[in-house]
Amino acid sequence: MQKTILLLKTLLLSTSQRNIFRYTTDQTKKKRIIAGLIGAFLLYGMIMAYGVLMCIGYGALGLTGSIPVMTALILSSLAFLFTLFKTNGYLFHFREYDMLMALPFSPGTVAVCKFFYMYLKSLPWYFSISIAMLIGYGYYAKPAVAVYLIWIILSLILPLIPMVIASFLGFLIAKISSGFRKTNLIQTILMMGLVIFGFSLRYIITSVMKNEQVEEIINLTAQTTDQAAEWYPPVRWFADAVGKPAVLPGLLLIGTSLILTLIVFCFVGRSYRQINSALMSHAANKNYRLKRQSQHSPAQAIAFKEYRRLVGSSAYMTNAAVGEVLTVLFGILTLLFGFERIVLTVTMDAPIDVTILQPAIPFLIYFFIGMVSTTACSFSLEGKNYWILQSLPVTKEEICQGKMLFNLYLTIPFMTFGILCMCISARVALINTLLYVILGTALCAFSTAWGAVCGIRFMRLDWENEIEVIKQGTAITLYLFPNMFACMILTVLMVILGMRIDHRMLTGIMTLIIAFFAWLSYRRALVLAKKL
Amino acid sequence: MSEQTMLEIRNFSKSYGGSHKAVDDISLSVNRGDIYGFIGHNGAGKSTTIRAVVGVLDFKEGEIFIDGHSVKAEPIACKKITAYIPDNPDLYENLTGIQYLNFIADIFEISAAEREEQIRKYAGQFEITEALGDLISSYSHGMKQKVAIISALIHSPKLLVLDEPFVGLDPKAAFTLKEIMHGMCANGTAVFFSTHVLDVAEKLCNRIAIIKKGKIIASGTMEELTEGHSLEETFLEADNAENNTAA
Repeated sequence: MQKTILLLKTLLLSTSQRNIFRYTTDQTKKKRIIAGLIGAFLLYGMIMAYGVLMCIGYGALGLTGSIPVMTALILSSLAFLFTLFKTNGYLFHFREYDMLMALPFSPGTVAVCKFFYMYLKSLPWYFSISIAMLIGYGYYAKPAVAVYLIWIILSLILPLIPMVIASFLGFLIAKISSGFRKTNLIQTILMMGLVIFGFSLRYIITSVMKNEQVEEIINLTAQTTDQAAEWYPPVRWFADAVGKPAVLPGLLLIGTSLILTLIVFCFVGRSYRQINSALMSHAANKNYRLKRQSQHSPAQAIAFKEYRRLVGSSAYMTNAAVGEVLTVLFGILTLLFGFERIVLTVTMDAPIDVTILQPAIPFLIYFFIGMVSTTACSFSLEGKNYWILQSLPVTKEEICQGKMLFNLYLTIPFMTFGILCMCISARVALINTLLYVILGTALCAFSTAWGAVCGIRFMRLDWENEIEVIKQGTAITLYLFPNMFACMILTVLMVILGMRIDHRMLTGIMTLIIAFFAWLSYRRALVLAKKL
Repeated sequence: MSEQTMLEIRNFSKSYGGSHKAVDDISLSVNRGDIYGFIGHNGAGKSTTIRAVVGVLDFKEGEIFIDGHSVKAEPIACKKITAYIPDNPDLYENLTGIQYLNFIADIFEISAAEREEQIRKYAGQFEITEALGDLISSYSHGMKQKVAIISALIHSPKLLVLDEPFVGLDPKAAFTLKEIMHGMCANGTAVFFSTHVLDVAEKLCNRIAIIKKGKIIASGTMEELTEGHSLEETFLEADNAENNTAA
């Protein structure tokens, strides 16, 4: 136990920004850490505001009783999905594996420490959501003081079970992939499949449970979450512990979480060394014959390098390319089932005329494509390789352009495919379709340039694990949240304005606005790149 | 600066964060055809100097010129004629050896025919041709070092800067590299490299600088410095003399 705590403490210390701040004499680094901290607190604030607003909506509609269930469901699903994205990189296939395993730790100890490290690093995000929901719940339900305490304690425990389940699934994927020669490819495919399943889960549950037409959409959401709680007992335990309030469900949640964690990691520990050994060994053919080579421009060379970086890492691929995969699936589903059916499924049969959503088609696809931009993390991903770019005879602006070029290569074809599928399915006029494709391209350009601004501004090369910059880096979070909130607002705006203004004119105006912001971001990215 | 000078470092200093100087007011020059050894203890300031020369490390105090171009004012012009091999080459592990070499060749705008010829020549010399189709992540340290060396030589640089180049190389590869260095110097290329291995420096270099605690404590041609003694004796003597002065 002492060894476990020691290792966990060391793992946390090795990536602690506080520790770097304390001991570094580099003032620039200190300023970056402070800026990162301010950025993180702003994001916590945004998330908390979103949580409080959600509670206000529930409270105003007299659904206060559903807030604990909703909280537990949000925390559990986020913990499950985020962990799923992170297992490969945090639990398996991590850089300091050799160093750690050479020390007198059992494989199980290393695995469990890595798991709790992942848990503690994610906790501030889950906790900020929980506190925001507690504020909202406290305002409407006016519970006893003890409820606040129970809520706080249990919301710390709540992410454990979904994280353990996701880790176990990650373990199974790693175990299966380790048996193949192309481990990386198999791991990426399996992980993508699981992530897509995770995203679709809500619709699967809804379609299985729905028995009758529900009149009001918000009531349906509350009903669906309540029904989901019946499927996933920890959510019910949390809701009962804070809603009634009762001690037994709370103890049940704590006990089950701890026992499940211990059982799973005893099991994982047994194959831990074998899986990591297989994942970290590389096959070599040693049969290359020098063939005709070809010449490319420096920007294309950098773009190709970025492509290899993406496909070479299962963790990077799962996080950065999931939007593109979802776009393809969404596009095909739209073609198969029709635009109207898909919209009604997503909105849970909301009583709306689907044609009003047409001007928002590029933004609907952008929800997938814009989820991650490779430019937001590719600068940090250079890590110890950064010396190569620094010593090459290319300007920092050219490097930045090369990285942006790759993101455009990655996003524009998928964006176009998604828009075309939806437009064909919704029988959108040809001119409108072309205008939507142009707007989609402008959105890709904005995503690319805005990602580069965040990626350069918060570039971090001293990471120990690539997941730190792919999944939870300041650059990624600062890229993602404002981008997604703006996208939601613009989608609603397009729908509302589309009912009053001609769709072609509206799309044209929006394209100009987005292109202007893309250009501004591009200029800013180049200015920041020059200072690197 | 004479036309013969390929690298000139003038009053270069570098501090990391606080007031302690990693390198303190050093000046030296490397001529075309020189093999210049830069020797000193761990942490003496060798890598800091080398990283500043190749444009990896930003600096404010002093000036560095490569073939008359300022590293501060014309970094790209300097990098176009310089090749750098770090002590522990972290390469792009997700590229194959040939993809990495093509990447470097594309950046240096080397024609397809020329790069083929260069890769064929150097990969053959280092006996690594058959492994070029494999991912760099599957390479041993020595193989990575070989790929880094080939990528440095592929664009026929005028200045070759190496940080501990022989670490991790097998004896045959080390011999090959020495031969290549000699050949390049005969064609007017300047070589500036750091090493701990004094025997190598003694046999390979025509000029030497000894750095200690960020200051150059001795420099000159091999004959001037050693005066009939071994380089090891000269190094220890200079080191002791500096310790006595400091005391």
